[in-house]
Amino acid sequence: MEQEMYAYKCTTCGELHHPKHYVCKKCGNREFEKVPLAGEVTLVTYTKVYNLPEGYMKPYIGFGIAKFENGLVVSGQLEVENPEIGMKLMATVGVVKEGIGKDYYGFIFK
Amino acid sequence: MMIVDKMEQSLRPVETPMVTYPPKYITMATGEKLVIRQIAREEVPHILEAVKPLMTVEADFYDIVASRIYSELLGYYRYRVKDEYCLIGTIDGVLVGIVNGRLIDDKVGMSYHTMTLKQGLRIGAQLFAAKMEYHLDFLNQEEVLIVAESPNGFKRWMIEYELESRPETWHELGGVPTFVLTKALWEKHKATKLGGRRPVKEELLKTAEHPILPATYAQIPGYKR
Amino acid sequence: MREVGIVGVGHSKFGKMSGGTFTDMLSMAAVQALDDAGVKTGMGHGVDQVFVSTMGAGILNKQSGIASALVDYLNLRPAMAETIENGPASGASAIKLGYMAIASGMCDCVLVVGGEMMRVVSGWEGTDFVATMLHPEAEYNYGLTLPAFAGLFTKLCMEKYGVTETDLSIVAVKNHENATHNPVAHIHVVPNLYCITEDEDAPIMNPYVAEPLRMYHCCPVSDGSAAVLLCAMDKADKFKKKPIKIAGIGQATDTHAVAEREVPTDLLAVRLAAQMAYKMSGLTPQDIDVAELHDAFQILEIVESEEVGFFKRGEGHIAARNGETKIGGKIPINTSGGLKAKGHPLGATGISQVVEIVKQLRGEATGRQVEGAKAGLAVNFGGFGNNVVATILTKEEA
Repeated sequence: MEQEMYAYKCTTCGELHHPKHYVCKKCGNREFEKVPLAGEVTLVTYTKVYNLPEGYMKPYIGFGIAKFENGLVVSGQLEVENPEIGMKLMATVGVVKEGIGKDYYGFIFK
Repeated sequence: MMIVDKMEQSLRPVETPMVTYPPKYITMATGEKLVIRQIAREEVPHILEAVKPLMTVEADFYDIVASRIYSELLGYYRYRVKDEYCLIGTIDGVLVGIVNGRLIDDKVGMSYHTMTLKQGLRIGAQLFAAKMEYHLDFLNQEEVLIVAESPNGFKRWMIEYELESRPETWHELGGVPTFVLTKALWEKHKATKLGGRRPVKEELLKTAEHPILPATYAQIPGYKR
Repeated sequence: MREVGIVGVGHSKFGKMSGGTFTDMLSMAAVQALDDAGVKTGMGHGVDQVFVSTMGAGILNKQSGIASALVDYLNLRPAMAETIENGPASGASAIKLGYMAIASGMCDCVLVVGGEMMRVVSGWEGTDFVATMLHPEAEYNYGLTLPAFAGLFTKLCMEKYGVTETDLSIVAVKNHENATHNPVAHIHVVPNLYCITEDEDAPIMNPYVAEPLRMYHCCPVSDGSAAVLLCAMDKADKFKKKPIKIAGIGQATDTHAVAEREVPTDLLAVRLAAQMAYKMSGLTPQDIDVAELHDAFQILEIVESEEVGFFKRGEGHIAARNGETKIGGKIPINTSGGLKAKGHPLGATGISQVVEIVKQLRGEATGRQVEGAKAGLAVNFGGFGNNVVATILTKEEA
C-alpha cells in the first residue's frame, strides 16, 4: 500500500505549507486543501548520525533537508551513498520509524 | 606453591599455544597514551584487586561484569579454563581497563568481558577492539561469539559493529542470545573502530610493567584504596 | 517599570548527582543564592515568588508541579510559585518572568532556580527526551535529533563560510581550558587540540556523532542546578552585595520545523533577541565585555557570536582561530567553560550563564576574570533555534 505525503494549500491565497499549520502563513486564512507532495527535490544539506535515539537499532542513519520544485523545504531520511549539496534526488515515501501498533511514514530521499 | 601431581594434571585443560598479543599504544584525546598489553598468568591476583571493589556496584551493571570477570580471571589463574587470555590498558602506569576471552577452537573465539575502570575516554571501546584484533588478526580466527550484559554494551558492539545474530548458538555466559563478529564484519568496521600504533617505545612499555591499582573509582563515590 | 537587579547567585557542581532527589538538587543552588544575598532561610525571608525552570522534571523524573514542591521543601510558603518550561531556554525564560514580576510592581523579590537530572536515564533515552522538542510529524518521527540538526547546520556553514572541523575543535579546547578555572564545571579534563584533530588516532578517539560534528564538538549530558535571587533595585540595600542590574532582555521565536527557516545558515531568533536586548539596555555589541553564548554544539558559539553582532557573518570562526574569544582577547566568550565543558543540565543552563556573568561583573570569577568587565550578554538557545532569549547585565557605578 503506497503511503502518500501531502502539502497543505491555503484555499484563499494558495500558499503551500508542509508541515501543517493551523493558520495560513501568508494571509491568515484557516482552511486548507490537501495536495500530494512528491517528486524531484534538490538536496540543501545532509548528515550521517551515529548516536540514534531509543528505538533505532541501526549503527547510523542518513538525513537530509531537501527542496521541492514548488519551493517547499522538508527534512527526511537520506539513502544516498555519496551525498552532495545541490544534487537532484527523488522524494520517496517509506517507513521512517517502526512503532508499536503502527509505523510512521515519511520522506526518504533517494 | 601448587603441587602438580597426576590428579591436578588431569583437572587442567590442555592449552593451545597462542601467540602473545603485541602491545600497542593509543593517543587519547587528552594527549595521554593508553598502553594495551596482554597479562601473564602470575599477574592475575594483582589485577583481581582492581576488580574487587566494583563487584557490589549496581549502576551500569558493574556488579555482574566485575563478579564474572573475577571468576573468569581466577579460573585462568588456577588452570581451570581452556585457552583464556586477558588484555589490560594502562595510562601513566595506572590500570584503566580490562578485557578477556578465550578460544573455543582454532576457528572460533568467545569474548568474555570488557570492563572500564576510568570512564569517559572511550577506553572500553578501544579495549574491545583490541580484543577483536587479537582473535581475528593475530590468532587468525574466523569469528568471535559475543554477548552483552548492559544496554551500553549492546549499543557499542551489537549495533555499531552490525553483529550477526545467531541465537541458536549458546554463549557460555548464561545462554543469552549470541551475536557474532565475523571476519567480514571485522574487515568492514576495523578502519573506523581500531586505533593504536606499534611498536611501543621501551620507556612507555615499562610504565605498563607493574600496573598501579586505581586509588579511587568514579563509580564508587567516597571510595579510597 | 521598576529596575531589577540580581543580589544572590547559587550553582551546584554540574556532572552526575550521586543520590538525593530532584528537589534536593534544586535546593542546593537555591540556598546558595539565598546565603550569597544574606537572606535568612526561615521566617521573614522576604521571597514573594519562586520560578523553577526545568524541561525534564515531568518526563524524566516523573515530578510535576516541582516549583510548588520546592517552595514547601525550602519553607518559603506561602510564596507564589510556577514551573517554567522553554526547552533548553527554560532558565533564561524563568529569569525573564522573574524580571517581569518585579518590574510590574507585583513582587519585590523573586527566587529563580533551574535544574535538570538527566543522568538517571541512558544516553539514547536522553537523546530521545531532548528530541521531543522537535516537530512531532515532520522531525521527531524520522528519528531526527538535536545533534542531527546541528550536523545538518554545520555542513551548510562549512559550505557557505568555510568553517572547518578544526575551528570547532579550537573553540572546544578554549572552553575546556576556561572550565579548569571554574570549580562547578562538569568537566575539568582538557582535550589536546592536536590529539583530537590531526593525530593518527584522532578519527577514532574523536569520532563523528552527526557528520561533520564530532564527539568533542558536542556538550556532555549533565545533572545540576543554578539559582539567582532577583530584587527591585530600589529595595536592594538590605542585601549583602551590590545588585547587578538586568539592563535588557530580548526574546524571539522562529519556525518550529527547521526546514522551514527562511535562510538555512541564519539563526534569526538569536539576532532578533539580541537586538531587542540591546535596544532595551541602550547598549551596542561593542559595549559588551564578556558573553556566555549557548554552545551545546560548538558551531552554535561561532554563529551566535556573529548573529549578536560581535563579528561579521561568516567571520566568527576566523575570530576564534585568532584567539579573539579567549580570556584576554577582544571579546571573551564562555569564560565559564560554556555548555561544552561546564555542562548542560537543560533547565539550569540559562540561569548558569547569568550566574557566570554576575560573577564576572562582580569581579568574583577567580582564575578566569575578564578585567574591568562592566556589561555582559547571555544567549540561551531553545529548541534548535526556534525560541531564543538574550539577557544583558550591567554593573552599576557607585
